[in-house]
Amino acid sequence: MPDIDLTDWQILLVKILVILTIIPVGALAGGYAEHKVMAHLQHRLGPMYPGGFHGWATTLADGLKFLYKEDIIPTAADRRVFALAPAAIFVPIVLVYLVIPMDRALVVEDLDVGIFYLLAISSLSTIGILMAGWSSANKYALIGALRSAAQLIAYELPIVLAAASVAMLAGTLSLVGIVEAQDWPFALWPIGIGQVAFLLFTIGAVAEMTRVPFDMPVAESEIITGPFTEYSGMRYIFTHMFAEMGHMVAFGGIAATLFLGGYKPVVPWEPLEVVPGVVWFLAKTMLMIFVFLWIRPTFPRVREDQLQKFAWKFLIPVGLALILGTGAWVLYV
Amino acid sequence: MAVDERRIEPHADEHDARLAAARRPGFGLGLLKGMGVTLKHLFKRNTVIQYPDEKQDLPARSRGVIALKEENCTVCMLCARECPDWCIYIDSHKETLPPKRAGGRPRKRNVLDRFAIDYALCMYCGICVEVCPYDALFWSREFEYSEYDIRQLTHEKERLSDWMSTVLPPPELELGAEMPGMPSAPAARAQGAATVEATGARPATTTSSAAEARPQQAAGAPKEGTFATEAARPVESLPADQQASETAPERATPEPAPGLEAEAKATQMEPGAKTVPEQGSPATERGEPEASATDTDRAPSGDGAPADERADREPPKDGAAQAAGAPAAPERDAAPAAGSAPAPDVQVPQVEVPIEPPRPVVLERTEDPDEVYRTVLAEQLEKGSSPQVAEARAKVARVKAERGIPRAPTPVEVDSPVPSAPTQGAPREPVQAGAPRAEEPEPEQGPVAPADAAESGPAAAAPSAPADGGESESPDATYERVLAEERAKGSSDAVAVARAKAARVRAAKGTRGPGG
Repeated sequence: MPDIDLTDWQILLVKILVILTIIPVGALAGGYAEHKVMAHLQHRLGPMYPGGFHGWATTLADGLKFLYKEDIIPTAADRRVFALAPAAIFVPIVLVYLVIPMDRALVVEDLDVGIFYLLAISSLSTIGILMAGWSSANKYALIGALRSAAQLIAYELPIVLAAASVAMLAGTLSLVGIVEAQDWPFALWPIGIGQVAFLLFTIGAVAEMTRVPFDMPVAESEIITGPFTEYSGMRYIFTHMFAEMGHMVAFGGIAATLFLGGYKPVVPWEPLEVVPGVVWFLAKTMLMIFVFLWIRPTFPRVREDQLQKFAWKFLIPVGLALILGTGAWVLYV
Repeated sequence: MAVDERRIEPHADEHDARLAAARRPGFGLGLLKGMGVTLKHLFKRNTVIQYPDEKQDLPARSRGVIALKEENCTVCMLCARECPDWCIYIDSHKETLPPKRAGGRPRKRNVLDRFAIDYALCMYCGICVEVCPYDALFWSREFEYSEYDIRQLTHEKERLSDWMSTVLPPPELELGAEMPGMPSAPAARAQGAATVEATGARPATTTSSAAEARPQQAAGAPKEGTFATEAARPVESLPADQQASETAPERATPEPAPGLEAEAKATQMEPGAKTVPEQGSPATERGEPEASATDTDRAPSGDGAPADERADREPPKDGAAQAAGAPAAPERDAAPAAGSAPAPDVQVPQVEVPIEPPRPVVLERTEDPDEVYRTVLAEQLEKGSSPQVAEARAKVARVKAERGIPRAPTPVEVDSPVPSAPTQGAPREPVQAGAPRAEEPEPEQGPVAPADAAESGPAAAAPSAPADGGESESPDATYERVLAEERAKGSSDAVAVARAKAARVRAAKGTRGPGG
């Protein structure tokens, strides 16, 4: 292979392009996985026709369909905010991909404040959702947006607390550092701490993505699509398909990194080192995505008040206790 | 007897326990169980039948399209009549065929011209298939006949006949299914055994056993209203030694139990059986239990007096008993098998259902039927009925006279102003069936002076026998006349005006109404 000598910014550009490719492809694949996996969990088949072989081109067809849909903006809507909202939702998700390491060297930028950056940026999506709901000039969109905002704020905390516990265990905020610190994945090792943190993070992530069972804001049978009711065509794709699928892949990746050992083999066994780190990472991410998909057809929707109660009265106290426990562990073990 | 709550909610305790168990915190284990269920389905072989690439093998009795077997159709039109949607269109004409042999009567036959089912209307209820007496309509399993043009959904008889090739042969009946009208062999045998038991239980003539039988009858009598399960108890209550094997078919009073179900059905059969009450013939074993059961259930009086009636009633009940025997027999089967001890602690409210005995009607002929026929015919014709109506009424009167049924005098005058009621003398303007033609609004006629009405009434009365229908008087005169008549009769104004208008229209059109 010829020596390609690229300057730093060229390398950065390539990495960004890779990320920008991964996201739509991941969204497409994730969408297809959602259709098929959910279908088989419900003892049915899912899409079979688009593309011929078990409907592999379903999401592609969906995306293309949305391309030629009419872009409708309600008359009473705040046009500028309405147009900016999808961007406000989507961009933070893309930014999250910048720090997730797919292999030791395959990370766009390994920030020293990796986790902190991650959590901060991902919570910016909340503003985008509020923008979408409020500018729609639709009562129900507004209700959905406010529900969503309340939910995202509430469930941000368990995520933060779980991530903080991991950071304490690893001794660093950098994601690569966290992966390196996991000989045994954190989900397995400090018994009582790692599992609780993992559980807390997973539940929080599902709620962050407004997925079932925490999908009150976008409860399809009740509020259509909540804050995104008025969106059509490509705007809808950006707020829904890309945002949700992108979110899923992102959070799956983060969970894999924080708790499952990232690009490291699951168990510290020599022969497993042969498999490239990317494969491990992808496998773990896909496992997490599968868990998110698995939860969806299994549980009924949680009511808004139950949702809030669960977060504030259960998860956050548990998270705080987790921090205490982790601190004790780190200090005395 | 105090009502036992345990009977009303027998599982109340378990219900509470399960509820309590469900309310205990599961610590997320229930959630994991749910996830296990969905995961299990993920790995199961999928049973989705991907239509239209794969088609399901439908059950034999599936209701798809309805097929017509033309050769069976006699154009009785029952299907078209009974169809709730009126989606069957039938046209036919009568053909006369030459007589089969010389000097015979030419035979008439219905020929089917058009038979169409409009599947855009058809609701696939199957009433037409059920009702067809000649098995000309069949269910098929085909359902893929959608069309782009709704007119193509009306299938004509050629297409309906084509569908016959998709009709399956009738599916096998289940094991032990009973054909309608025939008692199945095992059931008949069991009934025979039960009857022997029953007759053996009560030897006919001994008073002691009759006396013994009576309390058991009395015990059985209040339970008339309840059905087989309760009827089983009197059977059980008989001590086993009484069920001596008496071979001779005795005219003994059996228990009320076997007769109950048979009786319930026998009473249904009664109206049919009543028509031939006077024939007597030796009692058969089959007919007898049901016959005597009817009497004894009601009144535990002596068996002697009703015996004659019983003899009379047995043959018609034979058929009834046959049919009733089959359904009764399985219950009797269950009865001996149910065990010897009754369940006295299970209390069921006793319902007294008085069952009317079918009393034989004694009929005598008091008048000569032909004489009656002539009399009534003359009456009716004189009154002004049409010849067909007069003939019909005369025939009815003759039949009634033959049978000795007391008949009311054929109505010639009637109080209520029903338009179709025959009127003596003054021909009543009949009500025109269907919507009357719209006529230009007429100014309301003022009240006609009674004197004029009285005069013009009888004077204008013309025998309605001639079928010219009102050309003899002008429509307006008809209007006046009818109005006067109605008012004289006492109809309300609105009714009188309406009838007068109708009469005028009819007079103008020259039509006759019913009874005219």
